[in-house]
Amino acid sequence: MSTLHVLSHSPFGDDRLTSCLRLIGSADALLLSGDAVYALQAGTAPFSALQSRQIKLLVLAEDAQARAIDVPAWAEAIDYPAFVELSIHHDKVNSWL
Amino acid sequence: MAKSLLIISRQSPWSGPAAREALDIVLAGGAFDLPIGLLFLDDGVLQLSAGQNAKALQQKDLSANLQALPMFGVEELFYCAESASTRGLGTLSLDEAQPLAAEQITALIDRYDQVITL
Repeated sequence: MSTLHVLSHSPFGDDRLTSCLRLIGSADALLLSGDAVYALQAGTAPFSALQSRQIKLLVLAEDAQARAIDVPAWAEAIDYPAFVELSIHHDKVNSWL
Repeated sequence: MAKSLLIISRQSPWSGPAAREALDIVLAGGAFDLPIGLLFLDDGVLQLSAGQNAKALQQKDLSANLQALPMFGVEELFYCAESASTRGLGTLSLDEAQPLAAEQITALIDRYDQVITL
């Protein structure tokens, strides 16, 4: 069983990302959308936390572009059709509202 | 066979409607005999604090609704042990809720067909 975790809130001043990383499973994936892409701001604590975890990490490309966030090589930038496909390929989607 | 649903409630009890809304989903699901579970995570564990009194805030008592969960057939009640200890929670108002470690929460999410995190 695999879960796609979806975050859309900024990791600064909010602990969704921290909690998600604590309980994400090895078969799971994490998608960053909206303000959650700020977690990939180089040199920050959320960036280091993501880099050291080596989970399957996806980022909505347009949200990253809009916020001037460079997507690192260990993450994958995707578009909305790929997001839909990803949702189907996982058994469930957990959106951290 | 109805799909099983896990609600993850991670908002504190009196700062807004989120805690009550999560609980309403669970109670509604229980009333319709859905296989439903409830996990308190992050600030959500603060809903379980014993001795809360929101009368002066003129809000209805959330803990009374929590006590009703087993009566509505919701017996799968859990909370994140780490969230509770970080927030210094001692006595909890809901005896039926079981503490879970992070890896047990991973397994819990795996076990359900659908998950809603509020």
